[in-house]
Amino acid sequence: MNRFIFSMLFVLWAICSYSQNLNNDLSFTGFIDTYHAVRSSSPNDFLSSRSRFRGEIKMHKGSSYLFTSFNVVHNSIIESLTGVDLREAFFDYSGKSFSLKAGRQLVNWGVADGMRITNIISAMDMTEFLAQDYDDILMPVNGIKLTWINTKVNIEIIFVPIPTFSIIPHSNENPWSIFPSNENPVYDINMDNKPDYTLDNSEYGTRISFFLAGIDFSFSALNTWNKTPVFTRTLSSEKDTLFVDAHYYRLNMLGSDFSLPKGEFVFRGEIAYYFNEFHEVNNSADPVNKSSANWLLGIDWYPGNEWTITSQYSHKFIPNYVDVLVENENTVLSTVGITKKIFRSTLTISTFAYIDLTNNGFYDRSSLNYSLSDEINIMLGYDWFNGEKGIFGYYNNNSEFWIKARYCF
Amino acid sequence: MKNINSNKMVWAMIFVIAGLNININAQTLTGRQIMQNVKDRPDGESRYSEMKMELINKRNKKRVREVKSYSIDIGEDKKTIMFFLYPGDVKGTGFLTWDYDEIGKDDDKWLYLPAMKKTRRISGSSAKKDYFMGTDFTYDDMGSRNVDEDDHKLLREEEFEGHNCWVIESVSKDKQSLFSKKISWIRKDCLVALKVEYYDKLNKLHRELILSDIKKVDGFWQANKLHMTNVQDNHQTIITLSNSRFNVDVNEEQFTVSNLERGDI
Repeated sequence: MNRFIFSMLFVLWAICSYSQNLNNDLSFTGFIDTYHAVRSSSPNDFLSSRSRFRGEIKMHKGSSYLFTSFNVVHNSIIESLTGVDLREAFFDYSGKSFSLKAGRQLVNWGVADGMRITNIISAMDMTEFLAQDYDDILMPVNGIKLTWINTKVNIEIIFVPIPTFSIIPHSNENPWSIFPSNENPVYDINMDNKPDYTLDNSEYGTRISFFLAGIDFSFSALNTWNKTPVFTRTLSSEKDTLFVDAHYYRLNMLGSDFSLPKGEFVFRGEIAYYFNEFHEVNNSADPVNKSSANWLLGIDWYPGNEWTITSQYSHKFIPNYVDVLVENENTVLSTVGITKKIFRSTLTISTFAYIDLTNNGFYDRSSLNYSLSDEINIMLGYDWFNGEKGIFGYYNNNSEFWIKARYCF
Repeated sequence: MKNINSNKMVWAMIFVIAGLNININAQTLTGRQIMQNVKDRPDGESRYSEMKMELINKRNKKRVREVKSYSIDIGEDKKTIMFFLYPGDVKGTGFLTWDYDEIGKDDDKWLYLPAMKKTRRISGSSAKKDYFMGTDFTYDDMGSRNVDEDDHKLLREEEFEGHNCWVIESVSKDKQSLFSKKISWIRKDCLVALKVEYYDKLNKLHRELILSDIKKVDGFWQANKLHMTNVQDNHQTIITLSNSRFNVDVNEEQFTVSNLERGDI
């Protein structure tokens, strides 16, 4: 491990030296952060304890741009996550009216905050559920993106040869595991049914975006996979083991989104139809194919004095519903976010809540973020899960206090 | 065609201003005319600058912000793209603004957040009254403002720091404005303000802006140092401009969301 890090630093130093000789515009930036969260109820154990070094290398040369970011992580709770991972690594070439971006990159479609309607090409890292920054949840894709650029219109074509799938917490060492650590029956989880690396299994899509005076809107089409697996559960004949298998299926999406500023408000919306979406069923049978309609409306209010207030309402509807589905015919999720900056923007007070209107539960992340200096930020927060049913109810005992410190360089 | 018209307009403005300089002492201009002349002062079709902002609190603790920006005139309107360079936690963040001169028409604004790789549309009107990145300058101070958004009155002519100046009082027509009035000392020879006083709703002095290091860059007058002091809480911000260039080689097609996300134009 240490040898790897030293090797990496040596390579970085060599790249920097070589690049400076070539008179390239090169920069090496990043941050070091440390995050620790403790359960607010008994047994007050640590739910997270991790530190990270993030390095980012950027190099401009004429119309070309190289970007690499990587994490060196030490995770005290889930030791298997200690190590080095490449976050992004792409090459970008911009011509007069097009750009080509190839490599591991973040793709973030749509206008929703913390919710996914049209932005389903990127997988999600749910290792700590939603109790981490959303930019850490969003996973990069390995793909090629070609964009035709005009002042007011962008047309984007994306090709992802090898899909990336969401990370689902399922190991017993992870306090955020979506499976209970029962002793009877014992869970036997198989997450390895991912599609083969073939051309047939690649993903592709397009998005046309308009940026106009007074409104932005876009249309998107995507041939992808369900990034979050559908599970089947089978009890062994001795009834002492529950076999859980993850399944992945093709998914097609047609979508659209808009942003409309009006005075102090910005109205946002997304709509998407998922064709051939597979759903988990209540018995041991195979998942059922049912398309679904998904939409979201949001409003951002900027009343001034450094207040920002946002709210979103999303709805999923499954036409031709059958009662065996685990998912409801209608699923409604809402969010509310309030942010206020004070003391010359050095202290940010914020809260962001997901409200599960289907199961009457919520998850709220409230925090104070103080800028100790230009380089150092200290954050204190509380994650509050509440509910009897649904995913927020499931994490009812995972409410936690947390502290985070970040040094940027 | 658009460029030809724009060039014609700039030459027309230069001609008008040259004429004004000749007749400056021969006639008394109104406050509005003077402020219109200040707004129309030649500053090229497009421009680039880097800004270092030093925020100093009453305990003399200093914070620094650095940005670079490009802007281009589109008739009476303006497009600006700004990238944050420092500190590290906001580096790469970008603002794209289509700033409209027409009174009552909201600007179009986009904010790019590099960590999320996401551009979001933000309100074009409300942030104007907020302070820019914790400095003592509001977004309104940093942008351009239609002359007819205020009522202007020429108070007097006087010498200030060795320069003949007009002293103009400007009262906002917007009742929601943060300030009751501002008083500007405008240099007659180059139409650059030397000092601006901002008064709060109780008519008490709230902020004082001193502009210095005034010189010609690429043939255009510019104040390279702006020192704003909030006299009520003793906080101050010093903006230093560097690497300024006028009539830079950019065009309207480069002020796009794509370039905002790319971090340069």
